[in-house]
This record gives sequence, C-alpha cells and structure tokens, in this order.
Amino acid sequence: MANVVETQNLERVKSIRRVPQEEYYVPGHRTCAGCGPALCYKLVSKAAGPESIFLGPTGCMYVANTSYLSSPFAYPWMHCQITNAGAIASGVEAAYQVKIRKGKYKGKLPNVVVMAGDGGSIDIGLQAMSGLMYRGHDVLFIMYDNESYANTGIQTSPATPYGANTTFTPPGKAIPEGKTLFPKDAPQLVIGGHPAVKYVATASVGYPVDLINKVRKALNYKGPTFLHIHSPCPKGWLFDAKKTVSVAKLAMETGMWVNYEWENGEYTYDHTPKEYKPVKEYMKGQARFAHLTDEHIAKMQAFIDAKLKAPGIPVALPVQGPRETA
Amino acid sequence: MAKEMFLAGCAASAFGAKFARVEVISSYPIRPYTGVMMELSKIVANGELDAEFVHGEGEHAQVSIAYGASAAGARAYTGSSGVGVAYAMECYSPAAGGRYPIQMIIADRALDPPGDFGSEHTDVMGCRDQGWIMGWAETPQEAFDNTLIYYRIGEDPKIMLPQFCCQDGYFVSHIPGKVVLPEQSQVDEFLPPYDPPDPLDPTNPTSHGPQVYPDQGSAIDIQRAQAHLDVPKVTEQVMDDFSRIFGRTYNPFVEEYMTDDADFVFFIQGAHARTARFAVNHLRKKGVKAGMVKLRFVRPFPTEVVKECLSKFKAVGCVETSTSYGGAMKGGNLIHEVRASLYDSPKQPLVTSFMAGLGGEVVTLNEFYNMAKVLSQAIKDKKIKKYVYWLGFEKEGI
Repeated sequence: MANVVETQNLERVKSIRRVPQEEYYVPGHRTCAGCGPALCYKLVSKAAGPESIFLGPTGCMYVANTSYLSSPFAYPWMHCQITNAGAIASGVEAAYQVKIRKGKYKGKLPNVVVMAGDGGSIDIGLQAMSGLMYRGHDVLFIMYDNESYANTGIQTSPATPYGANTTFTPPGKAIPEGKTLFPKDAPQLVIGGHPAVKYVATASVGYPVDLINKVRKALNYKGPTFLHIHSPCPKGWLFDAKKTVSVAKLAMETGMWVNYEWENGEYTYDHTPKEYKPVKEYMKGQARFAHLTDEHIAKMQAFIDAKLKAPGIPVALPVQGPRETA
Repeated sequence: MAKEMFLAGCAASAFGAKFARVEVISSYPIRPYTGVMMELSKIVANGELDAEFVHGEGEHAQVSIAYGASAAGARAYTGSSGVGVAYAMECYSPAAGGRYPIQMIIADRALDPPGDFGSEHTDVMGCRDQGWIMGWAETPQEAFDNTLIYYRIGEDPKIMLPQFCCQDGYFVSHIPGKVVLPEQSQVDEFLPPYDPPDPLDPTNPTSHGPQVYPDQGSAIDIQRAQAHLDVPKVTEQVMDDFSRIFGRTYNPFVEEYMTDDADFVFFIQGAHARTARFAVNHLRKKGVKAGMVKLRFVRPFPTEVVKECLSKFKAVGCVETSTSYGGAMKGGNLIHEVRASLYDSPKQPLVTSFMAGLGGEVVTLNEFYNMAKVLSQAIKDKKIKKYVYWLGFEKEGI
C-alpha cells in the first residue's frame, strides 16, 4: 500500500432541511411497511451519495431489495454471502487502490459501504468483518440492527435482546423468558480489538440528521470505520408499522439504545435523556416481549441500569450464561 | 531476453503471477501451496510488482477478497491447498456465477482424515462442479505457463470464468525444475490487461448478484454452462498464440506419449505422468505396447478429444489420485469421465481404474508395471474384472 489515494470528502449536514433531496435508494424494493432497515438504507445512501459502492451480504435487505431487474440501488451494488462482506469489501477497496495508483480509474476512491445485518456483522460474518477492520481497508462497515435474522422468519441473533420471542427462542414452560442470553456488544467488539479503527459510532433511524452526519464523518476517515444503527423491525418485533420512528426514539428514552461516538479513543454521547423511562414502557409496545413476567423485566432493567452507568462500556453483571446459576 | 531459472512449482507459479501483472493478491498459509505466496510477497516487497497484497483471515476470505477485487475490475490471484480449498467452498459458485475470472493456484493436498499432508487431487476434485476451469500441471514449467494460459482463457470475453490452476503438492510444488522465463513484453502481448465489461464503478452503476426468481435461475445457469462449451475453441486459439509468442507448444487438451501403436494407455493427469513416461519407456523395451495419455483440463472435460483419442486402444487404465466414495465406478473420478466420454463411441476399449498415490504416496515404477499386467491380462481375457484396483491392497498382488 505505497501511496495513499485521495478519498471523498462529504460535508456535514446542519439540519433536516439541508438533507440532500436526491434519493439513491429508490423505489423498486419490496420491504415491509414501516421497515426500519429500509429507512436506514435510504438515509445512509443519501449521506454517502453517488460516488459509492455498496455491498450487501445476505440478510433481509438483500432478500427484500434485490429482485432481478428491479434494483433499488442507484449506485454500484454487489451481493456478498452472509459470511464474507468484510472480505469482499477488502477486495473492492484493494482493487480501487491499485486501479487509482495505476491510473486505470480516474477519480477519488469511492465510498465503499457494507450494509450488513446483525448476523452478517457479528455472528456468521464476524470473522470477515474483523479481518477488514484489522487490515485497515478504507471501508465503512454498517451493521443495521433489527435484532434478528429477519429474512428467514425472525430467528435469534447475538443482537437479539434478552427475553425476545423469536422462532428459535420461543417461550415455553421450561424456558419462560424466550431468549435467555443478553446480546453481544457490537461496537465494543470493534473498538476493543482493532487498532486500525479510528471511528465507531451508534446511530438510530429515529434521529436521521445525526445518522447522516455519522455516516459522512465515518466515510471521511481514511481507514475502516464501523456504525451500529438501530433499525426497528415491525414484523419481527411485532409493533404497528407506523410506529417505527417512535419505537426507535422510545429505545433511546428508556436506555435500551444509546447513541454515542467513539473517535480516537474519546466517547461522546448524543440524545441522552435527563431521566430514563423504565424499560417496561419500551417492552410493552412490542409483542415479542408480551410473554415476559415482572421478574424478567426486572432482570432486563438491571442489565440496562448497569449499562447506563457507563454507556458503551461493557458491563460485568448481571448477565448470566445458560450454564450458570445465581 | 528470455532466461532460465531452476524453480520449484510454487515459485514458478509466483513468477507466473508476476508476469501476469496480477493486481490484488490474497493469501492465507497452508502447506504445500504456501511457497507461492512466500515468493510473491518477496516480489511485491521488492517493488517488482505493483499489487495490493491482502492477508486474508482464512481461505473463505481469500477467495472472497479475490472475487471482490475482480468485481471491482482488478486481476486477482489467490490459492490454497487441501482443507483450505474445502473451507472456501461457499465462495466458488458465486465467483463462477458472477463470472469473475480470478485464478486460484492449488498445490494439492489430501483432505482430513488421515491428515497426512500428502498430495492428492481430492481437494479440488471435490469442487469440480462449481463452474471453474481446472487442470493440472506436470512440471514447474507447465505450472508457470498455465498461470498465463488460464488467465487468458478465463478472461476471454466469451468465457469470464475463474480457474483452479492446479499442481500436485510436493511432487511439483516443491521439486525444482528448469523454467524458461519469457520477456515481460511477450507476456503483455499474450495476456492483455483485465478489462471486465461491467465492474463495480460509480460512473456506471450496476448490480452484481441480485436475487432472481426460481424461473429465472436456469437462464443464468445456462450461460455458465455455455461458457464452458465455448472454452475448447478459445483454448485452441490461446494455445496457437502461446506457441507463436513463446515458441513452446502444448497440445491443448490431452498429451499423448508413445500412443501410435499402443495396445493400452495409462490415462493420467499431473505429476505422476513423469513416472508414467519412464514406465512406458521400460515396458516398450520389454516389447509391451504401452502408452500414456495425459489430461490437461478436467473442467471443462474435453469429451470429444478424449473419445477420439482413447477409442484407438484396446484398454485404458485411469490412474486416479482422488476418490469418489460410493461412485458408479466404485473408486476414482477420472474413470467416470472417461467411460461417459466413450459411451457412444463405436469402438469401446476396456476401461478400469487404479487408485494410486493417495495421501501423497509416490506411485512407483513397479506399480505402473503391475497396472500394465492387469491391462495386458484384460486385453487377453477381452474383459476387465473390476472397475477399480486399489494398488497394494489387491489379492493378485498389485
């Protein structure tokens, strides 16, 4: 990697009125009504603009978006296996590095953006994502988090919250809470182990200007960056399709989601309420939590309380694995 | 001026990649192919080749990096051996179906168990139905030449297919031989820069690999199949150009040795063809009319050529370095292809197969003589006793 090639430089957006009018994620897809990940794709596309290459590993945004001959992507887009988005992105970026160096491509390095679901990022796709981050390719890896494997019918993923009813963690007599495990912390996985990464942030489709600016900031960094974007899924979480944005906001208000940036070792927190509402309010709006008892909700509340003492920083307690007892 | 070097197969392949001016290289260590990347990384570190050298975190990533790079318009190179080849299995169909003509150098190695690291074609043979071009080199020179030849065929606009460019682990990969290296200008004339029609490019947005409905799938599959049908014609053209530019000639599909008046032939691919030649020489001295036919491509399989070639003989012994457990012919892979090719031929030789050199065992001259005995006996009896003989495990002592 001899010479560093010139990359795109995207401006900060000051308010919702200044958000670009142009759409790059256009009609032609068939996502569900109120789809959080589709909203996420739309906002990320607006932020990145046309000088981009998007990579989409298998996930609901592949299955629902790319019907042959009706692509909603107004930029080059490529399907990856659910396992290898990080590796394909590395190849694409490496190809552009060498093409630009040799004068085969005139122009700045395109924004290479991976749009991976939670499974494609921190479960089956973790190895490739980590390889990309470690090697320092100039790629933005986005984990649009709808907290499940949504394209196959809502199965549990490592991002699924404790207590959620998924088709692989149904509540029953022996396992009344449904999912018994607490989720992995995706941004911490990236921050903790990848010295080449300079910028990691969390964002939510409930706060579009913030989301757009984080995408742009990430793209302006030379080297790998990671965004974890909360993208509620009406079909999987079982709430009214018109409430996607309010569910996203309620997540922030109850501490179920925290927006922050990690930039060269410094944390900044955004949209932090003065006082958090109880998580019960968030959970009662979604039928995936309908089976939970007060005891389970108290367990969830304890987890969130501990996490909120140092948002973004992993907490030791009160998480128990299935083989442990209190 | 062209110069000669004494190179093992791995280094010869690395030089091939250098002369092909590959642009993105992805590596992961596994014996015995590792020597390719060791040599190539030196070449890149010394500034003799301007390429991105990406250390994949595994073979699955290696192939993904390569076909991502190819999709973005770069000539991509990778490789592996044994279980590494198997680990990347998921990525072969997308690379071929997406028509990304990456090249993967394979120095063969047995799969586990028994985990003996030995040379065996089972690793790549297990991937033969994914739509990749594949074939074996017998010598370091052939390994070098194949690198250029395979890229040229794979990148032909009619073809656009990835290639398994194989050599036997250790027997070729680690044993040095004389390699004539060409002038860069000769290679540049033979192999133009990679220029795909629709790379991932913001100035001309295209979608790669979208989902299709079930009724659209076969329309795409048939194009991959058609490309394989077109390979032979392109290969002939490529071989003509190759001998014109480099002054070396290969028969494009099969190489015959002492076959003019042969009663039977050993049908073989890869390194053991060298031993087979010695065996044929010796058998000829004893008055046995033996010959050898070496296969240069397994995919696409040169059916017509093989049919015409093998119909001439009374018996054919397929020398197998891979197994197809429970297959129709109870043993190796080559015999399936050979018997299928001969099915509608008016002249039917007797065809049997010999499991030889599994796990990297040397196939000895004595074993070839024993195979010759079986084939001679079959000609005398006008029938074969068995589809497959496991050398060293047979009652008759072969």
